[in-house]
Amino acid sequence: MFRSVAYRSAAYRSGGYCSIVPPYLLRRLAAQQEPGFSGAAEAAQKALLHVKSFQAARAELTLLAVPAARGLKPGAPERTIYDARSLEQLPGSLVRNEGKPPSGDPAADEAYDGLGHTHRLYADAFGRDSIDGKGLPLEATVHYGKRYDNAFWDGRQMVFGDGDGVVFERFTKSLSVIGHELAHGVTQFSGGLNYRNQAGALNESLSDVFGALVEQYAKQQSTAEASWLIGEGLFTDQVQGAALRSMKAPGTAYDDDVLGKDPQPDSMDSYVRTSADNGGVHINSGIPNRAFCLVATALGGNAWDAPAQIWYDTLTGGTLAPNATFGAFAKATVASAKELFGADSKEHDAVRSAWETVKVKL
Amino acid sequence: MKIIVQRSGGVAGMKRTWTVRPEPPEDTDRWQPLIEACPWDDVAGPGEATGQPDRFMYSIRADQRRAVLPERELTGPWRDLVECARAAAEEAGPAEIG
Repeated sequence: MFRSVAYRSAAYRSGGYCSIVPPYLLRRLAAQQEPGFSGAAEAAQKALLHVKSFQAARAELTLLAVPAARGLKPGAPERTIYDARSLEQLPGSLVRNEGKPPSGDPAADEAYDGLGHTHRLYADAFGRDSIDGKGLPLEATVHYGKRYDNAFWDGRQMVFGDGDGVVFERFTKSLSVIGHELAHGVTQFSGGLNYRNQAGALNESLSDVFGALVEQYAKQQSTAEASWLIGEGLFTDQVQGAALRSMKAPGTAYDDDVLGKDPQPDSMDSYVRTSADNGGVHINSGIPNRAFCLVATALGGNAWDAPAQIWYDTLTGGTLAPNATFGAFAKATVASAKELFGADSKEHDAVRSAWETVKVKL
Repeated sequence: MKIIVQRSGGVAGMKRTWTVRPEPPEDTDRWQPLIEACPWDDVAGPGEATGQPDRFMYSIRADQRRAVLPERELTGPWRDLVECARAAAEEAGPAEIG
């Protein structure tokens, strides 16, 4: 099983964190060293065991949840970053907490800054005090597992892997991914969406929408300036791809000899039916993702203004059923746009037109 | 004998598949105890198990038997079987994607 050690270590170094080798050379190296990808895949397998009960954590926290108190001034964030030191135990040892200077560990400092940017978007754009609307302290663990190829919200905190170094870099590198994970918390505290089929794809899409908004707000990018990419910077230079997903053009984020092509559909015409990935929640999310981007593009300006207000109102308004379909969600956004901006306002028109373009029936 | 492990989900949403075809009799004798150790009848069938946001989902097949497990339930004999299958498949070549 260790036959590919030489390939693996070479590929790992060439895809590493402080590479000075030009990208075109790395791509050539990658082409010669495809077995290195098997090392990458193997790396991910080290990080499988995490037996903490998400369901239990979720049930406990949901009881504490209250709707966001709009109009009240949100408090300052209360962040704590832990280091799992390559183990799979949470939370790990304390690295940095609120108000402390940078630790010098890029993953810990990126997580700290990312939690701050996320807290700021919810406070400034929606008057929401943290993930639960009640000032929930924000906790994150970095260096989870050995070369673990993932990041997730476990029901009460964020968890980030370092990536295998061959396909993925460390997951804190992307602010949209940090925002994506925390948005799963916001959805959970807003009543939740079942993590399966269309409701699951809506859950995923809301995380992409608010993840993208966190990044756009931090960079002060208008809709026209923004990349609308999720997970930009996570792939090593060996991968032919810009990001995990494109909200603007679903299905175009990557096209790699080894990883294959981005499988996201951009309208209901190409909706993917699959039993994998909880019914394709990371695949069909491309459809509502594009709808949001179309609304933002039609309205111009900054996406955290009217477009985000409509989506946030839909998520937190209390009318969204946990098993909502794309059609039910679309209708709810149209109702929110009408309520917030008036019937036949440009916002109301933009929302109706966006769902029509992605062929979700209203 | 044929063992197929498919991992889907994760924040990246990329599907990976590892396939092992042990040669009888030596290899199949080695794999049989790993397969028999798993509680195949005690897990949810396809379409029944639901994972947590951005965690991996595993679909495991050994000939006619099949199980679908969320990442947090991949423990004990399941984890042993999956890790051995991945290691063996990767020794044979790069992981299939998609």
